[in-house]
Amino acid sequence: MASLKDSSDDHVLVEVKSSLRKLTLNRPKQLNVITFAMGSRVLDIFAECAKDSSVKLIIIKGKGRAFCAGGDVAAVLRDISQGNWRSGEVIYRKAYTVNYVIATYIKPLVSIVNGLVMGGGASAAIYGTFQVVTENTLFAMPETALGSFPDLGASYYLSRLPGFFGEYLGLTGARLDGAEMFACGLATHFVPSEKLSLLEEALENVDSSDPFVISSTISKFSEVPNLTEKSAYNRLNTINKCFSQRTVEEIVAALEKEAVDNKEDWISFSIKSLKKASPTSLKITLRSIREGRLQGIGQCFVREFRMICHVLQGETSNDFYEGCRAILLDKDRKPKSPLVNKEERKFVVAANTRHLTSNKGHEKSLGGFKIQFNKLLIILLL
Amino acid sequence: MEKVNFRTQVLTRHLLNNDHRGTAATAGISTSPCLSYTPPEISSKPFPFDVNSMRKLMDGHNIEDRDWLFNLMIQSNLFNPKLRGGKIFVVPDYNQSMEQQREITMKRIQYLLDHGVFERWLTGKGFDAEMRKLALLEVIEIFDHSLAIKIGVHFFLWGGAILFFGTKRHHDKWLKASEDYHIKGCFAMTELGHGSNVRGIETITTYDSKTEEFVINTPCESAQKYWIGGAANHATHTVVFSQLNIDGNNQGVHAFITQIRDADGNICPNIRIADCGHKIGLNGVDNGRIWFDNVRIPRENLLNSVADVSADGKYLSAIKDPDQRFGAFMAPLTSGRVTIALSAIYSTKISLAIAIRYSLTRRAFSITPNGDEVLLLDYPSHQRRLLPLLAKTYAMTFAGNYLKLLYVKRTPQLIKTLHVVSSALKAILTWHNMRTLQECREACGGQGLKTENRIGQLKGEFDVQSTFEGDNNVLMQQVSKAMLAEYVAAKRRNKPFKDLGLEHMNKSCPVIPSRLTNSTLRSAQFQIDIFCLRERDLLNRFAIEVSENQAQGESKESAFIVGYQLAEDLGRAYSDRLILQTFIEAENNVTDTPLKEMLGLIRSMYVLVSLDEDVAFLRYGYLTVEAAATVRKEIVKLCAEIRPHALSLVSSFGIPDAFLSPIAFDWVAANSWSN
Repeated sequence: MASLKDSSDDHVLVEVKSSLRKLTLNRPKQLNVITFAMGSRVLDIFAECAKDSSVKLIIIKGKGRAFCAGGDVAAVLRDISQGNWRSGEVIYRKAYTVNYVIATYIKPLVSIVNGLVMGGGASAAIYGTFQVVTENTLFAMPETALGSFPDLGASYYLSRLPGFFGEYLGLTGARLDGAEMFACGLATHFVPSEKLSLLEEALENVDSSDPFVISSTISKFSEVPNLTEKSAYNRLNTINKCFSQRTVEEIVAALEKEAVDNKEDWISFSIKSLKKASPTSLKITLRSIREGRLQGIGQCFVREFRMICHVLQGETSNDFYEGCRAILLDKDRKPKSPLVNKEERKFVVAANTRHLTSNKGHEKSLGGFKIQFNKLLIILLL
Repeated sequence: MEKVNFRTQVLTRHLLNNDHRGTAATAGISTSPCLSYTPPEISSKPFPFDVNSMRKLMDGHNIEDRDWLFNLMIQSNLFNPKLRGGKIFVVPDYNQSMEQQREITMKRIQYLLDHGVFERWLTGKGFDAEMRKLALLEVIEIFDHSLAIKIGVHFFLWGGAILFFGTKRHHDKWLKASEDYHIKGCFAMTELGHGSNVRGIETITTYDSKTEEFVINTPCESAQKYWIGGAANHATHTVVFSQLNIDGNNQGVHAFITQIRDADGNICPNIRIADCGHKIGLNGVDNGRIWFDNVRIPRENLLNSVADVSADGKYLSAIKDPDQRFGAFMAPLTSGRVTIALSAIYSTKISLAIAIRYSLTRRAFSITPNGDEVLLLDYPSHQRRLLPLLAKTYAMTFAGNYLKLLYVKRTPQLIKTLHVVSSALKAILTWHNMRTLQECREACGGQGLKTENRIGQLKGEFDVQSTFEGDNNVLMQQVSKAMLAEYVAAKRRNKPFKDLGLEHMNKSCPVIPSRLTNSTLRSAQFQIDIFCLRERDLLNRFAIEVSENQAQGESKESAFIVGYQLAEDLGRAYSDRLILQTFIEAENNVTDTPLKEMLGLIRSMYVLVSLDEDVAFLRYGYLTVEAAATVRKEIVKLCAEIRPHALSLVSSFGIPDAFLSPIAFDWVAANSWSN
């Protein structure tokens, strides 16, 4: 355990600058993918900072060309392939705890996202108080292609984007640049990357937890970026029309109908992505976002954790294993049959997704999880 | 002196903020120095039963459709989203003028239409289509009563009239056009001079065989159509209810389709329309008044499922008895009563969820010198105010679900039962709603006065429910009248009771134990026995009183009218027994133990509170004075037992946070300076 902690110390760097703590994810070659040990380390740091009254502000950033590309799926896959989904559960539990702590943290957090941010990594960035993006930022939720679903609280923030843009991002895995993130509300500030060091310097001197002071400090370096003409965010009306449909099938049908007269790239891209993605994942994702819109943040985390445990067990399909294997591990990009969208599977899938969001059979893990959350919340909030 | 010390200690604690809620984190951050909000989820125990299963049990059907519609509303700016205390709430802006409220209501309808919410509402056939429609209407009702009523008038009254009174030619011409809102319908039945007594309306229609047209007239001011929802601004067509006079013979009330506006919204010739003006609620609905001055409509516009007029002016009807004919006409009003009863329960749920969540976070007064102030819901008196209403709401939910299925699966044989059940439940559930709203408003103190907190506003919005589609008192009289008829019929023919759930009258009179133990009070058997005892005894008494009055020379009608005191008690007894039966039935279908146990507690609360509140139990001696005291004590115990589950019980209502209000959540943040 000690050796683990040592290596993770290098993977999460902490700088102390008077009342500021600067936390840097430091696994640049792996795009700052977060391991279990890193998660523990981050959690320790947050717990310390919460208690330490001299800390007023925390910055999170990533070293290299990524902020964070998500969790350590490779490790989870190894365990699953050995028939051990439980250790996957342990890894995810840690990831959920870290993100929930970030989401409910009592001190202001500034995420500086100067590069790639994907999947679970996005939660770490988005749940802070302020999100600074740059011209290098690239955001995507690729889970449906991997046989999973946008999790770690994604159903909370995706569902709260304007109109049905969240459904669009979550289902198609569409990429956003920094300007688009700013426009749709996933980021609070757009700062050109050349000004980032000045920004960090300025934040070192704010010496305040007042969100207004921090925000106005960042605003000194920020600008309002221009959306590219082609940006899908400019097509929000069409997105709303298609992605507000009740089911995945109806969404695909609405897009196909739209595609007859409308040759814009984002439509053909969306259709292609939806057809390529795991149908089970699409169903789960849509339902998760729709339920998330009606729930509070804690409920979203608890529900998604329960759902990911079902996915890890491969109860409804083994799309998760196959999808990740084909795209992340073996990189053959050829998941075996189940990912293909087959008519007859749709009904089975619809029936199967229903129990995923119910807590039947997962009472135990939920119970423990929730209590842990509550304790943390009490420790950190009060 | 002791008091002064106590006060000083309390103040000091507030100023220094050194109670256990505030120690760890406040140094260095600028949260409130006095009070901080703690979500009820943290202070409450983990849910002892699966909240989702409970919601499924209560909502009953089309859960995913409901959630989809909640999603649609939350994501549109038309539904007035407001950020308060870090959460989005969607509540209509009741500070808008009447005209603004009417226009935004119409725009919301257009939005729902564009997103396919109304698909198959009129053209769909069968159980699934009907249940989907009812589920979606319930969701709309949770957002705004005006929106639901305006939609309800168009689909259930106008659309229902065409569906039920019309024949194929009407269906082909109007149903799809109405479903797509190419035409907007309204329902002109009530007049200034006649409301619940539809048979007395004065509008007159004659037939002109030369042109093959009907001619509709408003003969006097009291015949003006009144409260016609949709008529003041938007409706293009209406169903007019009118006496039909053929060759000098009055054939009774009939329904005719009449256009009142053209496609551009101009009022048609020979039609006069005026506004009903500003109301205490429902200002998003454009209620209007209509006069008809020799309005001519084609012969085909008579809705002719029950009776027709031939081209040469002969009156034709398969139903010879005008009473039965009238009964056939009234059938669509049942759908109105069903939807009203169901929506009353959702309004009750909104107010209870808000008031109970608030009572789990708001504190008032310390009862020990250094102690925290006490949560409102930890006061037994506060529990007694809210928890029985919560239990009743659960019970009435199951009754509402029973009514819904009875309506959707109706057969000609069940029309009478449906009429009685819908009348009883419409009255009882809407009265329960108004009472609950008032109690919840008061339980929220000053915060309850803000319209953004919904409850106070809902009082105005839902008050009309005790009046429209049949005045509650009139409906309850119809219940006791139907029971009396059943009684007389059974006795006269010396046959067993077999209708209106009165079968228990065939058995011997239930015996209530003289000493009521705690387990007796909580047993379903005792509970149903005591309700049945009250019902059968009151029915016997009522029948005797009416026949005695008749023996003294009163007519049957006036004998009934004079017996109103017993009639009222009887109507309530019938409704309570019906509600309890539906509860027990729902409970029996549950297999999950924690859920079942919870329901058992709630059922006991529902029954015991009814025993405590209805003075008939003491007046007629169904309970002894000692037994009544025992019941009262048991209620206190039940309050304490249900208290820890209050949060899970209101969470099971399935009403998304966004449709509650700021005081249901972080009301400190919602009211902070920066907000």
